[in-house]
Amino acid sequence: MSKDLTLVFRLTAVLKEPVRYQSLKEAVEITSRRFPYFSVSLGSGFFWHFLELNDLPPRIQAEEEIPCRAFATGRKNEVLYRILAKGKRISVEFIHILTDGSGAMEYLKSLLYTYFKIAGKQISETGDIMLPETEITEEEYEDGYNKFFQKLPAPEKLLKAWHLPFRLNEKPRLRTINAEVSVKEMLNVSRRYKVSLTEYFVSVYHYSLQEIFVSSRKNSRKKIRKVLRVQVPVNMRNKLPARTMRNFSLFVMPEIDLRLGTFTFDEILRAVHHQLQLSSDIKQISRFLSSNVSYEKLFLVRILPLFIKKMAIAAIYKGLGSKRLTGTFTNLGSVSLPSEMEDLIDYFNLIPPPPNTSVKVSAGVISYKDKLVVCFSNISRSRELERLILGHFIKDGIHVKILNNN
Amino acid sequence: MNTCISCGVELEDGIEVCPLCGKSPGDKNSPVNVQGDNPSDIIAFNKKENRKHLWELGGIIAFSSIAVCTIVDLLISRKPDWSLYSDVSVLALWLTLTLILFARTRMFLFFSGLMVIVLSTLLAFDLIDTGPDWFFPVGLPLAISSSFAAWLIVLLCKKARFKGFNIIAAALIILAGLTILTELVLDNYYHGMTDLRWSLIAAVSALPVALILSFYHYRLKKGKQLDSFFHV
Repeated sequence: MSKDLTLVFRLTAVLKEPVRYQSLKEAVEITSRRFPYFSVSLGSGFFWHFLELNDLPPRIQAEEEIPCRAFATGRKNEVLYRILAKGKRISVEFIHILTDGSGAMEYLKSLLYTYFKIAGKQISETGDIMLPETEITEEEYEDGYNKFFQKLPAPEKLLKAWHLPFRLNEKPRLRTINAEVSVKEMLNVSRRYKVSLTEYFVSVYHYSLQEIFVSSRKNSRKKIRKVLRVQVPVNMRNKLPARTMRNFSLFVMPEIDLRLGTFTFDEILRAVHHQLQLSSDIKQISRFLSSNVSYEKLFLVRILPLFIKKMAIAAIYKGLGSKRLTGTFTNLGSVSLPSEMEDLIDYFNLIPPPPNTSVKVSAGVISYKDKLVVCFSNISRSRELERLILGHFIKDGIHVKILNNN
Repeated sequence: MNTCISCGVELEDGIEVCPLCGKSPGDKNSPVNVQGDNPSDIIAFNKKENRKHLWELGGIIAFSSIAVCTIVDLLISRKPDWSLYSDVSVLALWLTLTLILFARTRMFLFFSGLMVIVLSTLLAFDLIDTGPDWFFPVGLPLAISSSFAAWLIVLLCKKARFKGFNIIAAALIILAGLTILTELVLDNYYHGMTDLRWSLIAAVSALPVALILSFYHYRLKKGKQLDSFFHV
């Protein structure tokens, strides 16, 4: 976690009417009491960082031009999530230490429900929204990783992946491009290829990366071919009986080995489909859970002072973590709301955390009714990957509309 | 409805320039973003920038070294002495780096520039020693002939259809000629007469090797490439 690599992601609900600040302020105070485990600030101990409970509600601020800014660590009066508002948009920004996309979405849905109620909207059905008056269960506090930890063989070591050769933006680096496509059109195309929507998107992502790889090597004397690997987060609550609101996601990493040659789109589709099916199996994915938690449990790691741990983690991340991936893609799925709320919201958007300097571009999608919004977080100067991915959708007959960030 | 003709995407109201290609919607000929559309252009752009940075860094290191050597020499010797050699050498290295970075693809310019640098450096060394002495009778002909030989070998490599043992054979013959020329020049400078000995032995030894390599290339392994032979 640093000023650039903030680990902060944003979820936005674009309403059909401008946001009323006073109603939002009240809604935030009420909703925050329903999710007390999010009201924490980050403290530093001698051995570990720790989350310190804090009764303060999150800050409500005007939406900034650069999203997903870092939270000040060590500042006792700031919790690790914030609420942003601008025009018709209400956004929440969470740090990944606190929760993942699903946890943040539960919070946002509850906030929107409370906001609409205070703003005088008639909402009789509540669906699966976590209402302010409902009881907070012990399960919501749980650490899913520790609860479901079992000692398993470590996952296979991964080869270093190829990285986009683009130059980085000046600081602050992050820029976003948001595009809207029809869920129906996207699903029709996915069905035509006999894959799921995520598999289709990841395949297009791989194919576009391959095009950039081939194009970038056209005038190069380097003949070394590498692996293209895209990280896809998996919501572990769908795999295990967990109801925690804390971060509980792991990853699958479908890859295309370019040392074997250049792949057609159909070959990539098949490879991605089978790899996602196999690696998202609970037994396979549990190996990553076991591997992640094992390090924390090592006696030597536990007794190391925090500053040494920080240096070691930074070195490991720089040497290994950031080199294993070419890209990241998050699909938060479809948002369901009670019918009375549905008409008050236009669409949702997910801005994934700023990618690291190796990955450079990451993508996130979220769908609501027939609107699927794709967001690219990009810290490089090139928009080539976005152009190729969206261009592929257009070739497949999917209409793409670039959304205005303002 | 605004649609970018170049990318085919619809642009929401308020977007005046397509964020994907940098063009105005409806205008196919409007200027594109600085780095160009093609990733290979981006790589070329990056390489050009990197070369410029490397050249600047080389310049800083070279001129700092020159300044440090000159100051230390002046402090110790009270006049420019040994630092003149190091200053000339460092300057020649920096000029060579400049040629490698910016003119390596233009062969004529590269070899001409390299020859000028070598000749100027040798002349400078000769002048620093005792005035013009060995440069004109030895340095000048040897530098010109060596540069010419190197240029000829590179030209052969570039023009040859098959880059196999034929290139090594040709290079051996060129080097044999160069050794003879070297002995001729040195004999004339030191003894004022010509008595060919070691260069002839070297040239005669190289000749059968060149012939065997040529035979191997043209008769036995027709068109065998060097990179596949050595698995480069």
